[in-house]
Amino acid sequence: MSPHSIVFLASFVIAILVVGLLYRLLHPSLRGLLDEIIGLPAATDFYLRAFAIVIVFVALAAVFGAGHGDIKDGARFMEYVWSVASSMQDVFQNLIIALLVYVTLATVLMAALRRKH
Amino acid sequence: MTNEHYLIVSYFLFAFVSLGLGVVAYRLLRTPFGAIADAVAGKSSSALLKRVLHVSITMAAVLGFLSVSYTQHGCVNYEYVVKNRDYLVQLNREQIQSTGNWIVYAVFAWCAVVVICLVVWRNKQDVSPRE
Repeated sequence: MSPHSIVFLASFVIAILVVGLLYRLLHPSLRGLLDEIIGLPAATDFYLRAFAIVIVFVALAAVFGAGHGDIKDGARFMEYVWSVASSMQDVFQNLIIALLVYVTLATVLMAALRRKH
Repeated sequence: MTNEHYLIVSYFLFAFVSLGLGVVAYRLLRTPFGAIADAVAGKSSSALLKRVLHVSITMAAVLGFLSVSYTQHGCVNYEYVVKNRDYLVQLNREQIQSTGNWIVYAVFAWCAVVVICLVVWRNKQDVSPRE
């Protein structure tokens, strides 16, 4: 197995774990918030599924897009670590941007659907 | 397998994978979106919205795949492309990356559409609270 493949696989597994953890952390409170502001179960389901799709595809795109040109045959352990860390930087950067867009969307949703008292 | 064979096989394989990713995203959103469209719009409008969701997400996936140019928009010739296997593998990865990004853009766009649908639905609810 080439060094590129090893780094790619390691990055892929870590990205999947990060996405799974993020989803588990945010899913319950996000569902509660959406249930409260929307009041239409299908819409809550739609936004939760959209959230899952967004974070999975964003992480996938970052892992596939990361180049590992710096790593050569016979590389040392820490060179692998640095290469994986470089991939993870792209994953986290894209996840942060996606989360910010999602939060903006949720804020617009809250503002638009707030009932007039 | 020669690089030329790899190019042919991988091109069609990754086209299929990209399309598959689009279909997966659509199938995940289809059911809840259908319920929202039915609640908000009439029968014909609802069917149109569902059809547009299908077309837009699969087209976004295909667009992502197609946006990667093997010849760097004419700057590189065919011989250069098939000479280097690493270059071919890198482009396959870029195809998946681009597909993922375009699907995310499409999903965000549909989230915005659903916000508008929900505002319409809420206004309808406020006008006729018994519904």
